[in-house]
Amino acid sequence: MHIDLLNFNIKMKRAQIQIGETIAVLFVFFILIIIGFMFYVKVIKDNIDIEKEEMSQLRSVGISQRIMFLPEIQCSEDNIIIDNCIDILKLDYAQSIMKENEIYYYDLLEFSDVNVVQIYPGEAKWNIYSRKTEDFSSKFVTNVPVSLYDPASRKHGFGVLTIETLFK
Amino acid sequence: MEILGLAIVIVLMLVATIFVVRFLVLKSPTEYRKGFVSSELASNMLNTLLKTAAIDCSQLTITELLQDCSQARSITCDNGEESCQHTESIAKNVFTQTLDKWSMQYEFLAYTDPKSPLIKLGKTCKAEKRSKIFPIPISTATMYTKLDICG
Repeated sequence: MHIDLLNFNIKMKRAQIQIGETIAVLFVFFILIIIGFMFYVKVIKDNIDIEKEEMSQLRSVGISQRIMFLPEIQCSEDNIIIDNCIDILKLDYAQSIMKENEIYYYDLLEFSDVNVVQIYPGEAKWNIYSRKTEDFSSKFVTNVPVSLYDPASRKHGFGVLTIETLFK
Repeated sequence: MEILGLAIVIVLMLVATIFVVRFLVLKSPTEYRKGFVSSELASNMLNTLLKTAAIDCSQLTITELLQDCSQARSITCDNGEESCQHTESIAKNVFTQTLDKWSMQYEFLAYTDPKSPLIKLGKTCKAEKRSKIFPIPISTATMYTKLDICG
């Protein structure tokens, strides 16, 4: 009777030790799972940020190209478009047209600020579109050298088309 | 035996971590914009500059001034500068207000013989560069304008 009780006690202690071991292993296992999950979430978050950055860059390039080929400001001669050229007589009218049709141009140019700066001869600046937001997450500035054509004198000047794009 | 199992698990976890770090964590965003900007810049800059009319030189274009610079040098502008000097001062003015302002290194050359350029502005690029060459016809041969944008 006494021996049976002793054996029972020994078995109980072994079982308790094994339960303790299992709990410790499970604890370490879950800790590792949590660390792995946190690492995975961080990696995924970084990848999403990278993709967002790439998308913003592509959108910025798209907006820049749209502006560079806007018929409202582009030079043309006998209905033939001249690449990389802005007609300075069209610029003043483009400013007012863009302000009057803000929603239409917002679809094309989103949140951006578009300026044409004359470098030579003399200095001048035209702001043709401006719609900014305060809570942007990325901002890109693209400078494109452009020829500024004066149809009155039929001469070209040197200017820079500055496109600032903002993304939420 | 249990230790062996644990060792295998740890090795597998290390391999997975190295894989994740190599392909996901160290991934940098592709510079789509940089490619677009640098490809447009050299070409547009040179193209626009050559079309520009010099106000102090009877509204002659930079191309016409360069043609004179490489041949007779018969043009004297209103401010007393010859075609070569005037072209150089216009180019310098333009580059100061654009490439220098945007902290971009460049080298501008106008030459018939690359060893002795008529106009040289900026510094030679030491590493990667975007280059654009525009040939200009002259009576005896062809002269070239070249713009290298570094980086």
